[in-house]
Amino acid sequence: MHQVEIATTQETLLDSPEMVLNMGPQHPSTHGVLRVVLRLDGETVIDLDCDIGYLHRGMEKIAENRMYTMIAPYWDRLDYIAAVSNGLVWVETVEQMMSLPVPPRAHYLRTILTELNRIASHLLWLATHALDIGAITVLLWALREREEILKIFERQFGARLTCHAWRVGGMPNDAYDDFEKDVRQFTNNFPKRLDEYETVLSENRIWLSRTVGIGVISGPEAIAIGLSGPALRGSGVAWDVRKSRPYAAYGDMDFDIPLGENGDTYDRYLVRLEEMRQSRRIVVQALDNLPDGPVNAKLPKIVKCPAGDYYHSIEAPKGEIGCYIVSDGTAQPYRVRVRPPSFVNLQALKQMCVGHLVADVVAIIGTLDIVLGEIDR
Amino acid sequence: MPLVTTPKPTWSQKLKRFFMIDLIKGLALTFKYNLGAITDKDAVAGKGIYTEQYPKVRPDVAPRFHGAPRLNMDPETHDTLCIACNLCALACPEDCIDVIAMDVEIIVAGKPRRKKVLDEFIFDTSRCMFCALCQEACPTACLELTQDFELATYSRAGFVWNREMLEQGRDTVKYTS
Amino acid sequence: MLLLGPINILNDLLLRFFSQETITYFVWPLIQIGLVVTLVALWVAYATYLERKISAFMQARLGPMRVGPWGLLQPIADGIKLLVKEDFIPENADRWIFFFAPYIAVASAFIVFSVIPFGPDWAVIADVNIGLLLVLAVSSVGVLALILAGWSSNSKYALLGGLRSSAQMVSYEVAMGLSLIGALMFARTLSLSGIVGAQGSDSIWFVLYQPAGFLLFLISGIAENNRAPFDLPEAESELVAGFHTEYSGMRWSLFFMAEYAAMVVVSAVAATVYLGGWYFPFVYRLEAAGYHNLYVIVSLLVFLVKVSIILYIYFWLRWTLPRFRYDQLMDIGWKWLIPSALINIALSAIAIFTVQALNGWRNMKTYEFLDRGLNLTAQGKAIAIVFGMAGLFITAFLMSRINWRSRDFNLKTQRRNIRLVNLPKGKPAVSASEV
Repeated sequence: MHQVEIATTQETLLDSPEMVLNMGPQHPSTHGVLRVVLRLDGETVIDLDCDIGYLHRGMEKIAENRMYTMIAPYWDRLDYIAAVSNGLVWVETVEQMMSLPVPPRAHYLRTILTELNRIASHLLWLATHALDIGAITVLLWALREREEILKIFERQFGARLTCHAWRVGGMPNDAYDDFEKDVRQFTNNFPKRLDEYETVLSENRIWLSRTVGIGVISGPEAIAIGLSGPALRGSGVAWDVRKSRPYAAYGDMDFDIPLGENGDTYDRYLVRLEEMRQSRRIVVQALDNLPDGPVNAKLPKIVKCPAGDYYHSIEAPKGEIGCYIVSDGTAQPYRVRVRPPSFVNLQALKQMCVGHLVADVVAIIGTLDIVLGEIDR
Repeated sequence: MPLVTTPKPTWSQKLKRFFMIDLIKGLALTFKYNLGAITDKDAVAGKGIYTEQYPKVRPDVAPRFHGAPRLNMDPETHDTLCIACNLCALACPEDCIDVIAMDVEIIVAGKPRRKKVLDEFIFDTSRCMFCALCQEACPTACLELTQDFELATYSRAGFVWNREMLEQGRDTVKYTS
Repeated sequence: MLLLGPINILNDLLLRFFSQETITYFVWPLIQIGLVVTLVALWVAYATYLERKISAFMQARLGPMRVGPWGLLQPIADGIKLLVKEDFIPENADRWIFFFAPYIAVASAFIVFSVIPFGPDWAVIADVNIGLLLVLAVSSVGVLALILAGWSSNSKYALLGGLRSSAQMVSYEVAMGLSLIGALMFARTLSLSGIVGAQGSDSIWFVLYQPAGFLLFLISGIAENNRAPFDLPEAESELVAGFHTEYSGMRWSLFFMAEYAAMVVVSAVAATVYLGGWYFPFVYRLEAAGYHNLYVIVSLLVFLVKVSIILYIYFWLRWTLPRFRYDQLMDIGWKWLIPSALINIALSAIAIFTVQALNGWRNMKTYEFLDRGLNLTAQGKAIAIVFGMAGLFITAFLMSRINWRSRDFNLKTQRRNIRLVNLPKGKPAVSASEV
């Protein structure tokens, strides 16, 4: 645990004008074990420091002692809400290092399932964000949609949450029999549900009062900090790894990127809702154009990457997740480093929170969409 | 001073604000859900109740589900299909499988040969992450992850399964109400 | 008459043991109190059950289902569980205040029920002629319990939570009291039974004369009870659970009951003052036909139905709307509700003055007499209703002028200010030949 910069000594309430408040690691609204130490002047936040590391499990060290194909199940546990995209970044990095061609059907299925995973992650974001601000019903409705996606994952991969979805070279199994029917049923119902969430939240005056103008970060500031994902696009910066460096089948897909204007919480909320619509659009396109063929490539007996280093990143729901592998030619990597989007996004928390009230800190943590599994690894 | 600039409202927007249309639309939707919970049957596309009342209703588990491990037996001879090749133990990232083999003497074409057969198979489900790499590694489709997800036990030792538990299954109490 | 006599059958039975005086002043009130406390306690317990069920239905799930058929025994199970929990008093807490605070809260919430008219004749415990004032005064004592609870818990967060809750409650009590005055002008009496009688004799519900007053009372009542969307002090987790952080077991459940009882109080007062209480247009025919006790019981049911509808509105609002931030909450209380209530008083006075002034003008007869209640004729009622509706618009207009600088007011309805761009595709991570 690093030394927190704000002194946490007990000062009596009546003596000093400032108060140090600890939103401790056990807290319903910090989306994991995050400790935020606030210095308050009354109710206004004047300083903020985050203390992370409560969920550190040593994933990068574990990866140094496992073979390349055995590391993939660990990577699901990074961003455990959107495990499919974590698996994808690992598997694609290894494939690109090995220059292993992946069949097109696998690329399309990866696209479909990764976009469903993006919708699932954004649904959970919406659920918890609305819960923190007080609209509790949206939590239950969004979890119902997410449940449909998790059922598809269970039938396809065998697990709902930590799926171990991909293997180096493709997928272990082809799409199950009712795959197309289930996915089409989901995509048919989904726009109506999104409209329901918008009815309850988007025009609601209480929601607007709680989210407009809260946690503003401008485009240049966001780039300076290194934000990515919807947090960056909410500030108007047009950057999406799916467009700028396409991977899987995104090069063939036709979709738009929503961009916000003001960089506040409301814009990020609208951006994520619109991203869910665009993800649905991608899923329908990919499903319509799904090619035939095998779903996995021929692998050597032991998967080895050539010596050297390689970095590859994809657009995870939370931002740009990257994987940097340093290999020494053996069956186990020499060093693996994850570029977690939530870790970088969390650095913007102080800038976004200073000047706002304590109740807004919860809303801002929610809008950054962090997951501690990624931050602490 | 608002942090965001907003356009001047039109008359219809003013009226909507006065009559609290935004709040009323949200309230109307929840009311429809309230009625739908009582009347509607469709939970996936409609406004019905989505709850599955487990354990009264057993859930629909997918065939590919990564559940409890099982060692399959040959249906005719009732011998284990395991050839003690140790591939599952090598594939496991967590090292939770222990395959103990023994040599037996068999006669092949009149000559005595040594064959490796399975003696004991230890599977630690408390360390297992249900990634199914062992299931994929098994060449004879002997080790399989079933659809059983109710793996709770009262002691840590209960998580370590031996060959008999893997082949015959465990004696568990199934609660149905 | 302060204490109404009991129903005749019961009266005859009791006369065999006690004198008439003892019955009227001692035994019968005790019976009434017993019934009311039981009724309210059951109501509060099942209000928690109904809240869970209704919130579950709104969220497409089932709610309590296991304990008893359809989960009906859930409140009883909860009560038993809370009773057998460990009685925990924090280390340096002020023992006696910690002990008494929940009782003060519950007592102040329950005492109010002694003046609320559940029905016409014997269904009131005490028809005090300052009933409404008693209601407001006694429910203010509940705020004291909050402060004591927060203080005696010896916890920084409980104290802050308690102070915030009580500041919120005190601000909204002003708005509550002021908003009732408009209806009082039409009723001419503070006695709650008298208010119902005024609505009954006029055959009108005061909500038609005072729509603004009804809305104001309801909103400030919801804020008074610390219910969503005004529940930041207790639900927002940055101060854990507010003033009742350190309470557990039965003491906590007493605070919980006090909160729900206060909700029932506000609903009952709203139903009494604005929705006609136990009065419903055609029920009087039962009395006219001679079935007096049946009339009282049907009126009792009418009252319960009205209170239940307002309780449903409470649950509905909680589970749909997000919550306000604390400063926005206090803004609404002081800058919106209190000026609106004052404007409402002025407009009601102008309405009554107009009704009196227009009497006799162009042979228009607007009222019969003005001593007890109003007794307006149809024309008088029309004038009052028009004033009521116009009052809504006038109040809104004046409020928007007063609060022109308020940040939240200036948000209006945002256009969707996101735009969709189709970026040019970059170089893929791997060249196409490898795919």
